[in-house]
Amino acid sequence: MQRRHLLQAGSGAGFLAAIPAIAPLVHAQTRQETMRVLAEGAPNSRDPHGEGVSRESLGTFTNIYDRLINFDRVGLPSGIFKYDYTRFKGELAERFEVSEGGRVLTFHLRRNATFHDGAPVTAADVKWSLDRAVSLPASKRQLSTGSLTDPAQFTVVDAHTLRITLPRADRYTLPNLALTFASILNAELVKKNATPQDPWGAQWVRNNAAGGGAYKVESWTPGQQVVYARFDEWKSGPLPYVKRAIFQTVPTPATRSAALQRGDADAALQLPPKDIDALSENKAVQVHSVPVTNSFRFIAFNSRAKPFDDVRVRQAVAYALPYTSLFRGASLGHGQPLFGAASATPATSTFPQPYPYDTQLQKARELLAQAGHPQGFKTSFSYNVGDATIGEPAALLVQEALRRVGIEVSIEKVPGAQWGTLQTEKKLPFYIDSSSAWFNDPDYFFRIFFQGDWRWNFGAFDNAELGALVDAARWETDKAKYDAAIRKAIQIAFREVPIVPLWLPSYDIALQPDLANFTYYIHGQVDFRPLTRNARG
Amino acid sequence: MLILRRILATLPILLGAAVFTFVLTRVLPGDAASFLASGQASPEEIAALRAQLGLDRPLHAQLMHYLMQLARGDWGQSFTTGQAVTADLLQRLPASLELTFFAFALALAIGVPLGVAAAVRPGSWVDHLCRAVCTAGSCAPTFVVGLLLIYGFYFLLGWAAEPIGRLDALVAPPPTRTGFLLIDAALAGDAAAWRSALAHLLLPGISMALFSVAPLARITRSSMLAVLGSDFMRTARALGLPRRQALFGYALRNALLPVLTTLGMVFSYMLGANVVVEKLFAWPGIGSYALDALMASDPAPVQGFVLLVAALFSLVNLGVDLLGSLADPRAGEAP
Repeated sequence: MQRRHLLQAGSGAGFLAAIPAIAPLVHAQTRQETMRVLAEGAPNSRDPHGEGVSRESLGTFTNIYDRLINFDRVGLPSGIFKYDYTRFKGELAERFEVSEGGRVLTFHLRRNATFHDGAPVTAADVKWSLDRAVSLPASKRQLSTGSLTDPAQFTVVDAHTLRITLPRADRYTLPNLALTFASILNAELVKKNATPQDPWGAQWVRNNAAGGGAYKVESWTPGQQVVYARFDEWKSGPLPYVKRAIFQTVPTPATRSAALQRGDADAALQLPPKDIDALSENKAVQVHSVPVTNSFRFIAFNSRAKPFDDVRVRQAVAYALPYTSLFRGASLGHGQPLFGAASATPATSTFPQPYPYDTQLQKARELLAQAGHPQGFKTSFSYNVGDATIGEPAALLVQEALRRVGIEVSIEKVPGAQWGTLQTEKKLPFYIDSSSAWFNDPDYFFRIFFQGDWRWNFGAFDNAELGALVDAARWETDKAKYDAAIRKAIQIAFREVPIVPLWLPSYDIALQPDLANFTYYIHGQVDFRPLTRNARG
Repeated sequence: MLILRRILATLPILLGAAVFTFVLTRVLPGDAASFLASGQASPEEIAALRAQLGLDRPLHAQLMHYLMQLARGDWGQSFTTGQAVTADLLQRLPASLELTFFAFALALAIGVPLGVAAAVRPGSWVDHLCRAVCTAGSCAPTFVVGLLLIYGFYFLLGWAAEPIGRLDALVAPPPTRTGFLLIDAALAGDAAAWRSALAHLLLPGISMALFSVAPLARITRSSMLAVLGSDFMRTARALGLPRRQALFGYALRNALLPVLTTLGMVFSYMLGANVVVEKLFAWPGIGSYALDALMASDPAPVQGFVLLVAALFSLVNLGVDLLGSLADPRAGEAP
């Protein structure tokens, strides 16, 4: 690294022969304040309220747009930070007040904040952006989980004060306002480029940033790289250390890992467990694994179709799965296991939590016999080709284990493009996948993954008792009653087992050793704003 | 006259390619609409999205509409990048072409002289070297060779530039004139960019070239051997013509026709099959663009890619035919 760096600096200096010897020093400083991130995919949109945005786009939105508030952060033992779901800090809003029993939120905006084009940020811009967010379908769906549904809820009190009125106090409103779905756009700029057919300017904003965040888009090469330049007039937080950030798409994990180890990149995302393990032994990089509590890896049944419509069959399979082999073989031990709980009565109300199933083949056989399948049956097990790193070994382990209780499993590899369709149409009888929810509250999980007529009801589950419990818990402000309702709901989930959780994945990231203040957010993308570098010795 | 006839002959090929890819991408399972809609969309919303994308009309209506659009120069819109397919392909084509030309030049520079030398000295160490290089080059797939080169020359030795993209991340790209970085950097007088572009071309170029050296060297060798054993060469040797003049003036020229055909095939193969290299080296070419679109069930870019490659194939074949008729006027004439 040192030699290459010196050669680069040297060649630069030789080229600018007329300029005195401060040239190599300037180059070295620039390298320090530039950050290079290598990831597998690419951002495909600059519209935080838009449809069909890729996961990497969430990182773009985080950096080029502001929101009213942001999650605060908490330090982890390994030295990096993680977002704190329960605490908020002001971003565009200097401070906010909650009044009338939680039904009215008043945000006081910073007085000197501007957008990238110099226009001042006013409450009118915020209202327009939030109106847009609750009108465009993708952001509307998400924000409605926090009682934000109608533009009438947002009122401009004066140029720097915005009021949000809720029909009832909702613990999901503030977290929703901290998500990228509630980003604030430069209203005047977008309105200039909107058309009568497209009043919200969705087509234009997709390809043009209209923000006021800490970074501007310096260049955007679709599918390849995005270069961000710091917006020096940013007022919503301390001015970031990183002046320039380059986000590059490098499809091959081995190349990302190699570039990081050679010092040419600063962060490598989405490295598979094998590469993370190899990097952990390398002193020249820092590797962090953050336990993720709102994501989980699971195996799902179509509980509305034979043979999995019988709860005994589902329980039988839950007792036959090779949990330990799956955890060690597919995930290489990364993450938190979600199996093998001692009791069928949950002790806490956190969710996901370990299920009371582990590999007990005798019990599996008994349950199958009770359900009328003493000789077993035939079925197929599917996984997404894009998920093959985990899916392929898992499928083989499941096939081998279920053969021992008489269930013949054929493995189906499904291309990524079809996967979504088949999941939505509930055409997969038995499959493995992973998913995450934006928020950590257990009732949120139950609402998304255990009921409803959408893709994310993975087990095609429909249980009236659970529905009633979750509805009651949604608005419950008394902690004891909430916990009691959730524990009952968890018991139902344990018993009916439409999905069998396997483990909580860990978020793994590899960084250059001198990077500090990396902060993990739900989206798993890199927020450049808090990053700093320790001075090289 | 020959050129005109050949150009007209390529039109049915292009039409066939257009219809074929259209049918293929529509027949493939996988619904672009539900892929694009986020997971909480209801069936009605997905149906609305499908209608908006024009996917609910009967197949033959979609085909006619597609062909009319093609005639107007509208190759469709990519759902995943949100840009017109022609814009995407034009943006990415120079990258693929530059890599292909570079690898092709390398393969040519290694393969043809090696084949000629092996033919001139059959059974010598040069001949064995040729055989060894050909076997080694063709038995290891490009992906494996590429990974080994990255591991050896970049990771272990640090001699090669990092295998990411066409330019070093911290080097500003030269203003775009042709899209070929080597040419643009030379035109702008930007030595740093030129060196960076060349450094980044080396590893992917060598990976691709190694695989193509084999057919080139073998065909050159066998063609040269056939020509060297012919009557007119024996006459030349008997009449005392200097060796160099005999070899390059007469033998090589006559041996060229099969070599040219192979060159055309190798170039076409390189253009179409460099998807793997593009993915491995994060090279922003048309191959990885088409692959990403295929995985996302985005039909327009895949159709555009196949059409483009079909058009380029036809152009290359035309070029090969013309060069062939130059080299050997007997080629192309009615027997």
